[in-house]
Amino acid sequence: MNLVTVLDIFIGGVLIGGIYALIAMGLSLQYGVSRVLNVSHGEFIMLGAFATWVLYTSLGINPLISLVIVGPIIFVIGYLLHRTLFRSLFKSSPSLPAFEGSSLLATFGILYIIQNIAIITWGSSSKGYTFLASPVNLGGAIFSANRLLTLGFAIGIGVAFYVFLARTRMGKAIRAAAQDPDAAGLMGVNINQVLALCFGLGTLLTGLAGVLYSMCFSIQATMGLGFTIIAIIVVVLGGLGSIPGSFLGGFILGIIGQIVTYFEPSLSLAAYYIIFILLLLVKPTGILGK
Amino acid sequence: MLEVCNIDTFYGKIQALWGVSLRIDEAEIVALVGANGAGKTTLLNTISGLLCPASGSATFLDKRIDGLTPHYIAELGISHIPEGRRLFPVMSVRENLEMGAYTYHAWKRKEETLEEVYRVFPLLKEREGQLARTLSGGEQQMLAMGRGLMSRPRLCMFDEPSSGLAPRLVLEVFKVIKTLREQGITILLIEQNVKRTLEIADRAYVLENGRIVSEGKSSELLQNNHIKKAYLGL
Ligand SMILES: Nc1ncnc2c1ncn2[C@@H]1O[C@H](COP(=O)(O)OP(=O)(O)O)[C@@H](O)[C@H]1O
Ligand SMILES: [Mg+2]
Repeated sequence: MNLVTVLDIFIGGVLIGGIYALIAMGLSLQYGVSRVLNVSHGEFIMLGAFATWVLYTSLGINPLISLVIVGPIIFVIGYLLHRTLFRSLFKSSPSLPAFEGSSLLATFGILYIIQNIAIITWGSSSKGYTFLASPVNLGGAIFSANRLLTLGFAIGIGVAFYVFLARTRMGKAIRAAAQDPDAAGLMGVNINQVLALCFGLGTLLTGLAGVLYSMCFSIQATMGLGFTIIAIIVVVLGGLGSIPGSFLGGFILGIIGQIVTYFEPSLSLAAYYIIFILLLLVKPTGILGK
Repeated sequence: MLEVCNIDTFYGKIQALWGVSLRIDEAEIVALVGANGAGKTTLLNTISGLLCPASGSATFLDKRIDGLTPHYIAELGISHIPEGRRLFPVMSVRENLEMGAYTYHAWKRKEETLEEVYRVFPLLKEREGQLARTLSGGEQQMLAMGRGLMSRPRLCMFDEPSSGLAPRLVLEVFKVIKTLREQGITILLIEQNVKRTLEIADRAYVLENGRIVSEGKSSELLQNNHIKKAYLGL
């Protein structure tokens, strides 16, 4: 294995890691604050990707512009989903664990509804388009320009989101609500609004990851579940509830995936599960967890 | 200022408050006294909107507040410093204080209020950047009180602010409460230390098994035989 191969693996891992980081941050927010373990999470990366593909192939809209079209729409879908479905599940649940159980089941339903609608609309074959596919040489390793661009956007979105949580009034309310919802309510935080906001921000981050993903890879209507699993693994890897942990964890899993794929491509999903199980056994709090 | 009328509150099917009525006038210190499990915390939670009463009414500054959500009640000027402090453990001291000023009217003046709170609790300024969970028990209580003041409240409700504190710090807590009254803040106080509480309060209510069993001027309750026996150990 020469240096260029090592570089190839490393950069490849970082490039896909940016996508993993975004979807994991989204899931972490949904579970950490809204308390919904969202199995349908990956469907929103699929929706983001297909929306971008449709806009590009039928209207010629630049995928980068799709970020600001698709993002807000997917945010509103997530927000309304929480305000209606999860809000009423919350009201009818006698306890938080009961809500976590019923909302988990509900997200299974959402997964199949979204996936089936997508299959009916777009079929189950792979779709794709070419966008900025010119090769770029990074110290001997060759990557297409679109992948570097998506990495830049993924890091930019991740950092902007972190700054939003750390610095703004609403971001602080979200963190407070994650740590003690009742106390946050006493401070004047509208809890129902914050929970819905977090769910919507979770789908937003994932939808944006979908827009970026479609610029580099082919997409399928059934691609969602794999990403949900990856997001869950990254969230546990990074430490439950830690947004920087999810961000970092995305890149770590991306690199591990590339290493395994280099030696045996068919084993990468199995490797993810092995990492997941080892992690649960050895350090269940994750790398940045308390 | 606050008028609670015939409140019944339930936990599921279990009734915790039975026809509770209470009145607080502007600039008073009113104490709420009762054994463990009497329903003191439940009453505070009902006033601040964490619990919704099954019947009865609560009125604050001529507005009905029963059944409203906590954030709305906070916005009206009631600050509830809850039992067990309930700080945001992985936020810094300063961020906890900022969260105290989350309401719209308080957020605009938060820098100014922060200076005032730091003047009352200089120690919080020294610990500004530290995470709340790394503070000692006494410091955490100071932070909980400071956070409660950040909203520039009209009415402050303290639920056992001195619980678990060393005697010297208990004195400190009572001193702060006196200072607040001098600043014109109205106070509803729940305390374990009944004698000291009745000494600083203007009036008091005694709660037993979810019912108000007596009320009156603190000075009179201090002389009451039942109170003396049950709460003052005399
Ligand atoms: N979350 C709860 N669920 C069910 N019962 C509760 C809950 N909180 C308090 N209670 C019950 O309500 C009664 C009053 O409790 P509380 O208001 O905490 O009393 P106090 O603050 O005076 O010690 C007690 O009998 C207690 O067991
Ligand atoms: Mg209590």
